Amino acid sequence: MPNPPTPTRVKPSTLAKTLGRAVIVALLVLLALTFIFPFVWQILISLSALTDVDLLTQTGFPPALQPENFITIFQRVDLARYFFNSFFIAGWVTILQVITCSMAAYAFSRIQWPGRDKVFLLYLATLMVPAVVLMVPNFVVVLKLGMFDDYSGLILPSAFSAYGTFLLRQFMLTVPSSLDEAAAIDGASHWRIFTTIMLPLARPGIIVMAIFAFLFNYNSFFWPLIITKTANLRVLPVGLLQFESSYGQETPLIMAGSLLAMLPPIIIFLVLQKYLVKGIQLGAVKG
Amino acid sequence: MIGSKKKRVAIAMMFLLPNLIGFLIFTAGPIFFSLYMSLTDWALTKHNEFSTEPIRFVGMQNYQRLLVGDESVFFWDYLGNTIFLMIGIPISIAGSLALALLINAKATPQAPRIRIRAGVIALVIGAIVTFFAWLATTPGPLPDPASPLLEMSAEVGLTDKSLFEVARLRSISFTLITAVFSLVIALGLIVGSVFFRTVYYLPSLLASVPMFLFWKTLYRPRGGLINAVLDPALDTIQTIITSTPRFLWYALGIALWTAAIIWAFRLMRSGINKLVHKDAGAAAFIGRTALVLTMLITAYGVGAVLVQAPQQSMLRSGFTSLDRSQTQTIADSLAAEFPTADTAELNLIARNTDGSSPDDAARFFATALPDDALPRTRTIARAQAKPLHDGLTSGDGLTSPEWLLSPSWAKTALVVMGIWTAIGGANMLLYLAGLANIPPELYEAADIDGASGWQRFVHVTWPQLAPTTFFIVVMSVIAGVQGGFEQAMVMTEGKADTITLSYYLYNIGFSDRFELGLACAIAWVMFAMIFVLTIFNFRVGNQLTND
Amino acid sequence: MAQVTLKNVAKVYDKKIRAVEDVNIQITDGEFLVFVGPSGCGKSTTLRMIAGLEEISEGTISIGDHVVNDVHPKDRDIAMVFQNYALYPHMTVYKNMAFGLMLRKLPREKIDKLVRDAAKLLDIAHLLDRKPKALSGGQRQRVALGRAIVREPAVFLFDEPLSNLDAKLRATTRTELKKLHARLKTTTIYVTHDQIEAMTLGDRIVVMSDGRVQQIDTPLNVYKRPANRFVGAFVGATPMNFLEGILESADGRFFFVAGETARIALPAEFSSALADHIGNTLSLGFRPSAMREASPADPQDERITLRTILVEPLGKNADVSCEFPDGTHVLARIDAREDFPVNADVQFTLEMKHVHIFEPGEFGANLVHPPADILAPAAV
Ligand SMILES: Nc1ncnc2c1ncn2[C@@H]1O[C@H](COP(=O)(O)OP(=O)(O)O)[C@@H](O)[C@H]1O
Ligand SMILES: [Mg+2]
Repeated sequence: MPNPPTPTRVKPSTLAKTLGRAVIVALLVLLALTFIFPFVWQILISLSALTDVDLLTQTGFPPALQPENFITIFQRVDLARYFFNSFFIAGWVTILQVITCSMAAYAFSRIQWPGRDKVFLLYLATLMVPAVVLMVPNFVVVLKLGMFDDYSGLILPSAFSAYGTFLLRQFMLTVPSSLDEAAAIDGASHWRIFTTIMLPLARPGIIVMAIFAFLFNYNSFFWPLIITKTANLRVLPVGLLQFESSYGQETPLIMAGSLLAMLPPIIIFLVLQKYLVKGIQLGAVKG
Repeated sequence: MIGSKKKRVAIAMMFLLPNLIGFLIFTAGPIFFSLYMSLTDWALTKHNEFSTEPIRFVGMQNYQRLLVGDESVFFWDYLGNTIFLMIGIPISIAGSLALALLINAKATPQAPRIRIRAGVIALVIGAIVTFFAWLATTPGPLPDPASPLLEMSAEVGLTDKSLFEVARLRSISFTLITAVFSLVIALGLIVGSVFFRTVYYLPSLLASVPMFLFWKTLYRPRGGLINAVLDPALDTIQTIITSTPRFLWYALGIALWTAAIIWAFRLMRSGINKLVHKDAGAAAFIGRTALVLTMLITAYGVGAVLVQAPQQSMLRSGFTSLDRSQTQTIADSLAAEFPTADTAELNLIARNTDGSSPDDAARFFATALPDDALPRTRTIARAQAKPLHDGLTSGDGLTSPEWLLSPSWAKTALVVMGIWTAIGGANMLLYLAGLANIPPELYEAADIDGASGWQRFVHVTWPQLAPTTFFIVVMSVIAGVQGGFEQAMVMTEGKADTITLSYYLYNIGFSDRFELGLACAIAWVMFAMIFVLTIFNFRVGNQLTND
Repeated sequence: MAQVTLKNVAKVYDKKIRAVEDVNIQITDGEFLVFVGPSGCGKSTTLRMIAGLEEISEGTISIGDHVVNDVHPKDRDIAMVFQNYALYPHMTVYKNMAFGLMLRKLPREKIDKLVRDAAKLLDIAHLLDRKPKALSGGQRQRVALGRAIVREPAVFLFDEPLSNLDAKLRATTRTELKKLHARLKTTTIYVTHDQIEAMTLGDRIVVMSDGRVQQIDTPLNVYKRPANRFVGAFVGATPMNFLEGILESADGRFFFVAGETARIALPAEFSSALADHIGNTLSLGFRPSAMREASPADPQDERITLRTILVEPLGKNADVSCEFPDGTHVLARIDAREDFPVNADVQFTLEMKHVHIFEPGEFGANLVHPPADILAPAAV
């Protein structure tokens, strides 16, 4: 009887494996700290008195905590107004985009009509055009339509998104067509199929699109900057920058305002991250 | 399929119309409109309700001005800045992949019970360590009046109270750091990959004005966190360098150069082989060459630092930015030198260029001067600025850079921040999805074939991720060409040589000149660049994913 | 209750792909009609035209007395069960079944009664509050069925409703479907690619291939009197054996001559049908069960000699794989016996009343046992 071949490769010992894993965890933790510590630092600044900032930098902790900063900032600058504007605008844009894009996506994915694929191709083509190309002509359009320095100029141009339409269409295509055929036989009209079958089934896609729309518009800076001049219409990014350029030395207040402005996206992400992560990955696979 | 054709069209239109109208007005229409505008002299200063001057069709004049005409000095410089900022793209993509690989290694415990147990143990140990951290560093309730520390503090002019206070705050800070550290470990163990994924992703979610404002304070040369950490670190490095033999640094630098050259040689050899054997096309070869060049340049830079380290000589040369009085001096001397120039305009430029680099300022001043005045203007501007004393330089040891204030460091500062924000963002999520989609059998087959960890990466992971990488590169390049405006606007106001093409477009179209036609031309030049780069990416991508 | 009539129906996709061609069928009230054919032959397309899910390119379809070409599916008084069941994943079983009734604005109590009755009938009453995700394949299938029957439509349409079930469940569900039909007596049109399903379920079978109807007949007739070679090959648990050869006549008798390998005398009953084909190339088709081991009493020229390759005992019977010297493969189903010789030359006899002779080509017509309605009194 020949001997069984001796294994040439020995599995790494459990010790080596554990060690390897420990190294990876250590790296993960260190990296996490490089992302977390700056924010801890920002919180510390925002809780310091203006006169203590130097000491804070020397020692790493302020001598006295001053949480009043988070109230003072509202008195020094119309932060409440900026918050309202940001939420109002991003909120409306989101609602309108969900309505217009989901309806258009339904027309592109569920109804047969001549020229459908050509029109959709046109939508796709515009996705390749960079945003800066649209900036100037849209500025003129808004000017001519009398929407300059007005909520409508901030909301309407973003209420129709080719990208959102594309995303939702891709999502609706994954819903089996036999479902709406069954519904049609059951007696449902297109509108009925859209509202009772498609919208509930495409909900994860719609949530993704809504998060994208909200965050993008909440963070948006360039467009609100050029399209508004009244202080009352300033959104958070514009308002904060304005405050910073006039009171640049008041670091604790600026940091407090900036922290407050970052809170909504953080909360949205923590609550809905399951959808968001899926959505980002979906956009790429299909795109 | 259902219902008659006519009715279907009617219904489809009902669904589509709300979107289509907006799409035509704000997306499809403006694209053509923009193309037309870029061929006109449309400027809001000339064409508004107070004037009847017609908008003139000027053909390719705007494009000509940008590329070779009066705007070209700005355009090419800003293009250079844009490209400089795009250097961050490959670095952050590689970083995203590294983060994804680390998370995907599933090194934290997976079974729920072990997870919680390990997390609780980490929490308890963390609490104990934190407590001792506090115990060991806290100065105690009452400073001993006889303590030698107090004598010392008296010497440096500190009162005992403030010395005590500093010690107390340092102790709290140290304790806080320990606590955060422990908490992160515990959370990482309990929640696992989702925790790390969330933490890494958050910065990219927040990449907007509030966060840029925050980074602006981090970058303050004095009083900013970054230099507060960097200063002592550089001192340490300085000590190490001066206390070690000189040849060691030479050797290290030369070793690095040698390694880079050997590696570059090998990469190029296999690239040429592939090209000759038609395994990959020319575009892939160009891409590979570009990567090798990047690597060589980086290696050269790092090696140069090492080789020069013992001499404590300069790493970068440049000028400080000009302050208000310096720009005024320049304006005055220019007014004296060019009697034909409009003094009021020069003064206005002097006011606007406060904080610019001398070269930037020179370009602006030159716009108010005769055509051939630029070289002379530059000399005058440079003479005003103090040379050097700029980051990692100076004769008496290494000092931290001035970051956003310094024309030679501001772009680097933006790149560093960009990497910090983007590295854990969407790209990392895409890589995670890509990794999850690699069939495990491939790794098993590679194991059976006896592949090492690195070989598994080269022969399984990387090729399987090629489509993901391709998508990421395409999207990053598209964003990169358009990028830089918000960061520069918030953090440098365009000073310190940080104006990118999108910032340029803002300046031309919406800020000082309102030349909408020219702004459109800038946009279309950017589009052309994106288009060419994307096509190039597609060719490389096709060649690589078809291997 | 209603009859369904298809007149010259055709389907053209994208102006050029002719998926269904010239279908004419009269489905009587209460009939169970099965469309069968290989995948891609146009069964589903035909069914979906009846349902109104596809436009009818040519011809007319009537349900009851009305031409329904332009009628919306919901107004055709039909119900359909899909291959993937198409249950609304976000609705409970109850809502799935009630949805169509709700859209028809039936009173609440009526809906409740109909749904619960149907659920009881199908033994899914205990599942009404679940969502489809929480059901097994068989249960989903029943819910899909339930959703169809609560509507009490004039016509049931089924598109391969059993093909997602495992073999055992498929068999039992088949029986239940048959019982259900016997009880409800609703006109039913059923699409399958599985000929056993077709044989067991259908009152009549429509065999389709390449978008064309090949034969419409009762299961037994389709089996015994296949209209053409395709039907013969497609229908039946074991595929028909075919021999290619030439028809010769000698001494007033007909012989089927397959080259060197066989020369088979044909019975006198075939003569009139074959008279015009002397000297032509034809194919001889016979099922494995039409063969038996030759006994000495059988006339020599009705025997064929084959080399046995493999014997698969099936219990009472055994399947024997054999070959002609030229390699043509033949399967024989014989009475099982222990010591059947393998790798030997064995003589088999063909039972002539189960032998078919087809014209050449895949769709060559059956010359000797044509379907009754084509050549009514003749033959046998
Ligand atoms: N929407 C369509 N467009 C073009 N061709 C189609 C379409 N649907 C079906 N076909 C073609 O029509 C033929 C019949 O399809 P189908 O009726 O689904 O076959 P089956 O008999 O398997 O149910 C097939 O060849 C198929 O490729
Ligand atoms: Mg089918």
